[in-house]
Amino acid sequence: MNAAASPDDTLIRIRGLTTVLNGKKVFDALDLDIPRGKITAIMGPSGTGKTTLLKHITGQMHGDAGQIAVDGKNVPELSREALYGLREKIGYLFQNSALLTDFDVFENVAFPLRQHTRLPEVLIRNIVLTKLQAVGLRGAARLMPSELSGGMARRVALARAIVFDPMLILYDEPFVGLDPIALNQVLKLIRTLNETLGITSVLVAHELSAIQRVADRICLIANGKIVAEGDPHGIENDGSPWTRQFFGGEADGPVPFQYPAGDYAEALGFPRAKA
Amino acid sequence: MNARVDDNVVSRSLAQIGECGLFLLKVLAAIPRSGRYARETVRQLWFVGAMSLTIIMTCGLFVGMVLGLQLYHVLSIFGGTAATGTVVALSIYRELGPVVTALLFAGRAGTAVTAEIGLMRATDQIAAMELMAVDPLAYVAAPRFLAGLIAMPLLCCVFCALGIFGGHLVGVSWLGIDNGTFWSNMTDTVEVWQDIVNGVIWKSLAFGAVVALIAVFQGYTAPPTSEGVAYATTRTVVASSIAILALDFVLTAFLM
Repeated sequence: MNAAASPDDTLIRIRGLTTVLNGKKVFDALDLDIPRGKITAIMGPSGTGKTTLLKHITGQMHGDAGQIAVDGKNVPELSREALYGLREKIGYLFQNSALLTDFDVFENVAFPLRQHTRLPEVLIRNIVLTKLQAVGLRGAARLMPSELSGGMARRVALARAIVFDPMLILYDEPFVGLDPIALNQVLKLIRTLNETLGITSVLVAHELSAIQRVADRICLIANGKIVAEGDPHGIENDGSPWTRQFFGGEADGPVPFQYPAGDYAEALGFPRAKA
Repeated sequence: MNARVDDNVVSRSLAQIGECGLFLLKVLAAIPRSGRYARETVRQLWFVGAMSLTIIMTCGLFVGMVLGLQLYHVLSIFGGTAATGTVVALSIYRELGPVVTALLFAGRAGTAVTAEIGLMRATDQIAAMELMAVDPLAYVAAPRFLAGLIAMPLLCCVFCALGIFGGHLVGVSWLGIDNGTFWSNMTDTVEVWQDIVNGVIWKSLAFGAVVALIAVFQGYTAPPTSEGVAYATTRTVVASSIAILALDFVLTAFLM
């Protein structure tokens, strides 16, 4: 099937994505559909390629095989100009915020507007202050990134990601470092953006309770594939060994807790037991 | 074993020179796109140029003073102290001005540029720009390259002026060479094309391009770790110093 032929209700369509990094198969013919206007959470054990998947969606990385269509455009085949055009419609929240350290909070949020529009200064100011108010940091507009806590920096990065009211926002670990008040407000903001503007959201996160409050759908990724997907409140009990292990936090199951290694007793220098 | 290690070092160095050449082409291609970021170029010009003035002026003054002192004592053996101004000027215009300015520029501005870009990469700021559809080659690399290219000849002129002032201070004010002789011998001997244009302008432009390219390249390709940024900063100084001295020989051979 041609991934670029994306029907209207699917914003991101991934077909047969295969990626090998440093000799390890990160994705093994992965198929995934992200519906338009919904909040989809990507979950999975650490190191299974959740952030790498976001990088494929934004064209930062390309797979060895397969197709990724965003809004009907096959990302690996886009020219630089077309890719930048697509990225103007995408907001991205980095794991580590990635604020520009030379600029204060206000200028960080204003940066995309200044680069891509010729809006009058008063309008830029109003848009930026509106977004900062939404994340509770209007009063911090003149602070430098070095003066922010981790949670505050993440909220500034969120304000920057939504400053253009994009069609798609990719959140990479958006809840890390947020106190309960900030977490609640960020969850409300994500939901409001989705309901009022119809923005499609893709969340990569580990906090199931937060995900259950905001997401419409969860996809569980492991062993290079989507191993389970479904309703956030029902997926835990779908009977699959993957979901049982992941949501139950069990060490034993299809996902190995231990990184592949040699014999433990041998590594500790103990003599082997005779058969 | 040693031969294999040497081969690896040579092949790695050649590969890096090749990568640096390809990076130069990308930066040159990005320069027209960086026109919309003219303010960023001016900001970098301030950072690498104006902020380097103190070290350039101080070092220029002392280099000129040392030259004046040394040359006065050597020339006095032959009764030729009147030529002190001439030799100070020729030494500074033809060699010491461009070379010492470039070495200082690499140490002061080149390392700062490498560390800044390396940290921008390590903290995902470069990736964030790409995702905001802002071309980092046009916004980060090209303005810093252009700033280095523009700043170096200007700094070299300042260095030369302060160097000659230092030579004059020691030769005329302290050691008693006649002021008129100092200046007239210098102006009679120094040629605008040969010494100022070929010596100061072309050499400092070439050195500015090389130092700026190496600094931006090392920062842009630095591994995103603290150790990676530290190594990249060191490599900027080492590679720039070698490139400046090697290029100086080549340019001297062709231009003089």
